Amino acid sequence: MSLNITCPICGKRNGYEFRYGGEDRGPRPEEATLTPEAWCRYVHMNRSVAGVQREWWVHRDGCGLWFSIDRDTRINVQVMAPSTDGQEGDR
Amino acid sequence: MNRLHHLKTSKVHPGERRTLRYRGREVAGLEGDTVATALYAGGVRVFSRSLKYHRPRGLYSLDGESGNTLMAVDGVPNVSAEITPLRAGMRVEPQNVKGTPEFDVMGFMDGLSWAMPAGFYYRMFHKPAAIWPRVIPQLRRTAGLGTLKPDFEMPGRFEEVYLKTDVCVIGGGPAGMLAALAAADRGLRVILLESRPWLGGFFEYREHPYADGSSLHDRSADLERQLESRPNLRIMKHAPVVAVYPTLQVTAFQRGADSASFDERYLEIQAQSIVVATGCIERPLLFENNERPGVMQPSCAHRLARTWGILAGERAVFSVGNDLGIEAALDLANLGMGIACVTDVREDGQAPQLLDELSSRSIPFMRGWVPVKAHGCRRVKAVTLSPVNGTRQKKVECDLLAASAGLTPSTGALSLAGARFSYDSLTGFFLPSTLPDGVHAAGRLLGLQDARAIEISGTEAGLRAAGDCGMDVAETLRTLADEQSTLPGPVRNPKLVMGPVKGSKTFLCFDEDTTIKNVSQAMEMGFDVPELIKRFTAAGTGPSQGAVPGHNLALFVGQSHESPDTEPRPTTVRPPLHPIHLATYAGAGHGMSKCTPVHALQVAAGGRMEKVGVWSRARRFSDEKSAHDEILNVRQNVGILDGSTLGKFRIHGPDAFKALQRVYVGDMSRIREGRIKYSAMCNEDGCLMDDGVVVKRGENDYFFTSSTARAGSTIEWIRYHTRYDGWDYHLVNLTDAFGVINVSGPNARKVLQKVTDFDLCNESFPFAAYREIEVGGSIPARAMRLGFVGELSYELHVPSSYMESAWMLVEEAGCEYGMKPFGLEAQNVLRMEKGHVIIGSESEQRTTLHDLGMGFLWHRNKPDARTVGAAALIHTEHQEDRLKLVGFKMQPPADRPPKDGSIIVDGVIRGYVCTARLSPALGEVVGMALVDEPLSGIGTEWSIYEDECQGKLLGAVVAPMPFYDPEGLRMKM
Amino acid sequence: MFGKRKRLWNTPSLQSSYDAVIVGGGLHGLATAYFLASRHGMTNVAIVEKRYIGFGGSGRNTAIVRANQRTQENLPLYKEALELWPVLTRELDFNLMFYNCGNLNLAHSEAALKAMRIQVASAQYHGIDIHLVDAEECKKLVPLLDISDRPRYPIAGGMFHPPGGIVRHDAVVWGLAKGASRLGVHIHQGTEVTGIEVRGGRIASVETDRGRIHTPRVLNAAGGYSADLSSRFLDLPLPISPLTIQAMVTQPLKPLLDHVISSGAYHVYANQTLKGEIATGAHMDPWPNYTTGTSARYIKHQAEAVTELMPCLKGLKFMRTWAGLADMTPDMAPIMDGNDPVEGYYMDCGWGYFGFKSCTVAGKYMAELMATGECPPILKPFSLRRFEQHRLMGETAALMEYSANN
Repeated sequence: MSLNITCPICGKRNGYEFRYGGEDRGPRPEEATLTPEAWCRYVHMNRSVAGVQREWWVHRDGCGLWFSIDRDTRINVQVMAPSTDGQEGDR
Repeated sequence: MNRLHHLKTSKVHPGERRTLRYRGREVAGLEGDTVATALYAGGVRVFSRSLKYHRPRGLYSLDGESGNTLMAVDGVPNVSAEITPLRAGMRVEPQNVKGTPEFDVMGFMDGLSWAMPAGFYYRMFHKPAAIWPRVIPQLRRTAGLGTLKPDFEMPGRFEEVYLKTDVCVIGGGPAGMLAALAAADRGLRVILLESRPWLGGFFEYREHPYADGSSLHDRSADLERQLESRPNLRIMKHAPVVAVYPTLQVTAFQRGADSASFDERYLEIQAQSIVVATGCIERPLLFENNERPGVMQPSCAHRLARTWGILAGERAVFSVGNDLGIEAALDLANLGMGIACVTDVREDGQAPQLLDELSSRSIPFMRGWVPVKAHGCRRVKAVTLSPVNGTRQKKVECDLLAASAGLTPSTGALSLAGARFSYDSLTGFFLPSTLPDGVHAAGRLLGLQDARAIEISGTEAGLRAAGDCGMDVAETLRTLADEQSTLPGPVRNPKLVMGPVKGSKTFLCFDEDTTIKNVSQAMEMGFDVPELIKRFTAAGTGPSQGAVPGHNLALFVGQSHESPDTEPRPTTVRPPLHPIHLATYAGAGHGMSKCTPVHALQVAAGGRMEKVGVWSRARRFSDEKSAHDEILNVRQNVGILDGSTLGKFRIHGPDAFKALQRVYVGDMSRIREGRIKYSAMCNEDGCLMDDGVVVKRGENDYFFTSSTARAGSTIEWIRYHTRYDGWDYHLVNLTDAFGVINVSGPNARKVLQKVTDFDLCNESFPFAAYREIEVGGSIPARAMRLGFVGELSYELHVPSSYMESAWMLVEEAGCEYGMKPFGLEAQNVLRMEKGHVIIGSESEQRTTLHDLGMGFLWHRNKPDARTVGAAALIHTEHQEDRLKLVGFKMQPPADRPPKDGSIIVDGVIRGYVCTARLSPALGEVVGMALVDEPLSGIGTEWSIYEDECQGKLLGAVVAPMPFYDPEGLRMKM
Repeated sequence: MFGKRKRLWNTPSLQSSYDAVIVGGGLHGLATAYFLASRHGMTNVAIVEKRYIGFGGSGRNTAIVRANQRTQENLPLYKEALELWPVLTRELDFNLMFYNCGNLNLAHSEAALKAMRIQVASAQYHGIDIHLVDAEECKKLVPLLDISDRPRYPIAGGMFHPPGGIVRHDAVVWGLAKGASRLGVHIHQGTEVTGIEVRGGRIASVETDRGRIHTPRVLNAAGGYSADLSSRFLDLPLPISPLTIQAMVTQPLKPLLDHVISSGAYHVYANQTLKGEIATGAHMDPWPNYTTGTSARYIKHQAEAVTELMPCLKGLKFMRTWAGLADMTPDMAPIMDGNDPVEGYYMDCGWGYFGFKSCTVAGKYMAELMATGECPPILKPFSLRRFEQHRLMGETAALMEYSANN
């Protein structure tokens, strides 16, 4: 199902201009403490929430910015304003 | 047939004849006819035979609600004749008949209907088991409607249009027109979509009085003029809506008018607000033989006369459910049709003046009566009528039975837009109970009947849509509400109307021949909700996608009180709302590809080009499949290759180094000035994603390459893996900014020295060095010496605008040495002889960097960098029983390479051959394979199983790599 | 001739305890229940389905079956699955309408042909009937194909697998429900699971909106909802992304396409149903979600792709489009596991868009696992732990992560 996403730089755009980048699981853990199970949880395991989840997107056919949004996966609608959590894209 | 030509509402032009050919004979029609109306005027009454029982079917509707008029037109199958405009010279043929529609040999199937209850095929034909395979070809032949030949070429011109608008109005009847006006008058951009070739909906064809002596037809024409005068209002006629999406995107297709540049075009509209005013269709009455030719919707009979000048019969019975039906009967009587009687399922509620008119014309009117059975097979001959409670019966002769239970709303577009519906017991309609933001409904589909009330609801919806787009409409809405309160609201309609019948020949769905009895059978078997009934009986899954069963299915199930559903709900609606040609979706079908700056030169040199991803690249330069000569030329002389598709990037900024450390497995702090560093990127699983070289061009300033396939995603990758760090760096994609000339072979230095002043001797420009030089005196080139093919090799990165010039300079310099171009196949073999990996060929999802023998690229002592893939590389470094990349040679008597992709076996599958070739330089077969670790030791013997080998295995043995020049001396010359 | 019609499956009331509770009334849940009852005598089983049976992927797929997978872990599984269709038809006394018309997979480059050879050789080695064919042979099998240079990705050849074909998906749902119900399995539709109770590392009960069920065994066969279920009720996230996959059918035609045809490069498969419709798919919206709406973009892509390969289809009309949820894993292979980390908790999910073709055999072996507590060897490679052990299945050459890991 199609959706619209608001890019922090470009505004509201057709969802197909973007690429989904995964659930937000925070910054990379330290290598030293990473057991195989913890590593797998960080890399592969999804909560797959049927509800609002925080996740990353990149405006691939636009400015190229990576940003995170909250989206309600039951109705495929972005619910809150996006944030970039640190990184500015190339303009 | 004599047609009525004097009518104000007529849309046909008596002077403009157009003939079509139907079953070999000419049928005359007029400009403005559809294929169906031309055929009807030409005397055709049986248009098709139904799918299962091969019952004769006639003209029932005029907007495609039924599939009765599906025919082959100009070789295109399943064309709905009733919505297809007549073009001169069309060839029309019936479908799915053995014989003719009038006399179909398969008609006997109708007599076997008792043997084909709901879902009968699930309970038959599977025992004994041998029957089923024999039945299948028969089933396939009897199923299906139209025919398509494998070499059929679709005629027509197809386009696509992508539009943005403020307000999109779906439906060009009075409500839709007024909604469009209301929004346009606020200065907004408005698009109005109407599926018929003209606007006006239920007003357009009626001379019924509107106000001040004008008729509804006049009012419709007047509104249309107003719309046309608004420059910000775009009217698209003959444009049925196909889908509405929750993002307020609307798709439709439009038929081109005679003068248009297209026959059909696809429309995709992004709106900010939508008004749905799709009106109503007739709700079928249910009685025995309710689908005979001669049974049709009252509005179908009415419009045949008013729009096309055709009187559908000489003696008609009208069985109606609302005043529109009575009005139609009266109007047709005025136009010369004999009306035997009018029955109305309603006991009361009719407009008094209509009843007066009926009696003044001595037309018998029977309240509370419905048809019970239509008589006649290929034509209706009579109808048996009865009161709804079925105590008496009366048979009336007729050749036309115009029957409906009144109207039912067209809820498809609203449903797709996200509206929720609930059953309203006053109107008998499914009305929207909630509408999403930005979606508004107007008009007859809300249950309104009064003309002015319908119009005002349109204005209201248009204003609300304008409000969504930022206009201030509060005041105007308040004034409007005052007027609305004086007008009639939604009116009472009959509910499901089914006479006192058993139902074995009462058809709920015409397309699939699903009867009321079938539905009851399904419910007995446990399929007790409409969705399951639909699947089990196929009702609503035919070509007209459920318009005829429509809401009747849900209402029938609701009335039966056997379903767990407490309240009837309409069945799920899915796109397309109107069937649409794949040709229209596919549009013009433009191919796209990228060419390098020297594409033309490559082709001129004999390049056999091939699509590699989005690029066009040279695979070979002759028809010799093995590229034998090209390979030997590189090994012994010098060759030139276009490597322009390589990904190229600049990264610069105070934290550029940190970003590189994050994504590359190597230690970027070890890059030396004037030297390239070869490294790899892995994904989190430690699998090879990409490899390339990195060059430091200045403080915090690097130039690096990627494989062709990753050129589009590298920047995204680096930014993703650094998104939490807040580092300061910039990435520039230089892939298209530079072309790449690769000159390889023992004579490479001699050739290049002719075009540059830079000293290319080994001391000045050694292996793995990076130098910025000039070619031809002024063309700047970033030059590297690499080892991919294992010979003396220079890779020149030249600005694209200079690429052709530089290439020709090098080509000319190479003439003296007999330099020849080489392509991807040659490069493939050359690198394979050196044991180099091509991503996706020797690597896959199960192989980590270690498995490929490339673990040496990984620098483990940089944990602070948190390199992508490092954790997995640590975990898997000493893991056993993984696939390993190894080299192998064949064992006599096998002397030819096994085919790429052959498997390695020893009772179970242990791996597979990635690439294997007869090496021209070595004179023997060498190859690379992925194999289970226990079989990966040098000297291990294998058996290779090729497809079609019939068990005859080939012997091979693991051999060390590189095969060619193991010490790597030649590339360091 | 047909006798008195009776319900295909019964509607009993919910008991307070069962020997096993299966979450999800789709093909995998129904098949497991059937095999538990028929092969292991475990009939005190409840299927708990939130909507109605076959509502999810089971009722939305295009019912293609084949045994031409890439790895030797998968091949024997699918081979057996193919062989079970006639067996089940007989046992259930229901015409599943298995039509083995053969599958043709197209390759559009030499690299693709090489990748196909791995599959063909592996399958032949396992005794499966499948062959590599060149472009001319592809055209003989499917005369509608355009094997000229006109398509963007010209056809280089393909692999033809005669034993594969199509089945009527609804028939399998209803047939299995009939079979399971006759053996005493309770099918509870319109019943939603609201919690799963674990005590001391063991399954204790399942909470539903109609009451609590005490049981020592729970099978997660919830398809598109399996990841949410596992994560929400057991705090056990899975490497699954539920993506929306679309399909569509055209208006029915007389016989035109005699085999199932598919193309990786175009993301397209097509077959002609017994009703004569051309069924085709299969784009997926590349973001996880729980909606089953279609999108204009992919309907258009589908038409472009399928008409590029088979140009005569331009004369057809799409009649109906729909979508379902595909629970995708990174290595395109399912998770079939049990008793780890929670005793009595079994998983049969992550089937993506190939769950239909395996339902028979998955049901058989999951039933064995649940009834005996021993993991059958054929299921061992599909365990959940393979991800943390870096033992991916390799069903595709590249990883299919629906995130940014590729």
